[in-house]
Amino acid sequence: MAEHFVKATEVGAIAAGGMKAFTLEGREIVVGNCGGHFYAVERRCGHMNGPLELGTLDGTILTCPTHCAQFDITTGEALCGPMPRYLGEVPLPASVVNYPPDLGLLMAHVRTQSRRTYATKVESGWILVAVPREAVAPAD
Amino acid sequence: MNPESRKEALRFFHAKVVGPLGYRFTPDTELMDFLLEQEVILEGRHGIPFCPCQPLRHDPVKDMQIVCPCIPFHRKHYDALKRCWCGLFVHQDVTDPSTLSQLPPEEVGLG
Repeated sequence: MAEHFVKATEVGAIAAGGMKAFTLEGREIVVGNCGGHFYAVERRCGHMNGPLELGTLDGTILTCPTHCAQFDITTGEALCGPMPRYLGEVPLPASVVNYPPDLGLLMAHVRTQSRRTYATKVESGWILVAVPREAVAPAD
Repeated sequence: MNPESRKEALRFFHAKVVGPLGYRFTPDTELMDFLLEQEVILEGRHGIPFCPCQPLRHDPVKDMQIVCPCIPFHRKHYDALKRCWCGLFVHQDVTDPSTLSQLPPEEVGLG
C-alpha cells in the first residue's frame, strides 16, 4: 500500500521519553521520542484500546495506562499482557470484588495484540509520519 | 507474544532496579538466559515474573516478596551471599559467581 508522509508536529513538541497523540488522515497515531529518535505506533492499546500516549515510555518500552500491557514502540510488538488480578494488602470494596463471575471468564480470553507502526522522519524541524493511502473504491 | 522479546524487556527493567542496589546480572550468560526464560514462563502463567527458584505460597503478601528482582525484600541475606537465591543477580564486585556459596540465613546471622 502506498504511503505518504504527513506532518505530525514540531520536533520540540515531544520531549525525550514523551509521547503525543495525533489523528492523521483519520488514523489515531502516537508519536514517541526515544532519546531523540521518533517512533509512531497505533494509538489504541492491543489489549483493550486504552490510549497509549497516556502511558509511559521507558527506553523503547511503551506501557499502557489502563492495564499495563507493554509494547516495543519501535516494532509495535506486544511484550506482555495486562497486569494480573489485584494482589494488594488493602481489601478491595465489595462492589468491585463481587463483579459477575462471567466477566472474569470473558476477560481471560482477551489477548494482547501487537500494534502497527508507521515510519517517521524529521524534516525542517517537523516530525513526519508515513500514513498509508487508503484504497479508493472506484466510482459507480 | 515472543518470549525472546519479553526476556529483553525484563533485562532492561531489572537492570534499572538492581544497579542502584549494588547488583548486576550474573556474568554466567547461560544461567541468566535460562532464569529469564523461566521468569517469562511464570509471568505468562501468573502475570508476574516471580523468582524462578521459589515456590508460590498463594499468600499475596508472601508472594509479592519473591517478585523478581526481590533484592529489597531479602537484602541482608543477599548481601551476605553476594548473590540472590537463584543467582540471576550478583554483587557488582563479583566476577566469578561459581566461587560463591549458598548459605542458609541461620549461618549468616539472620536466623
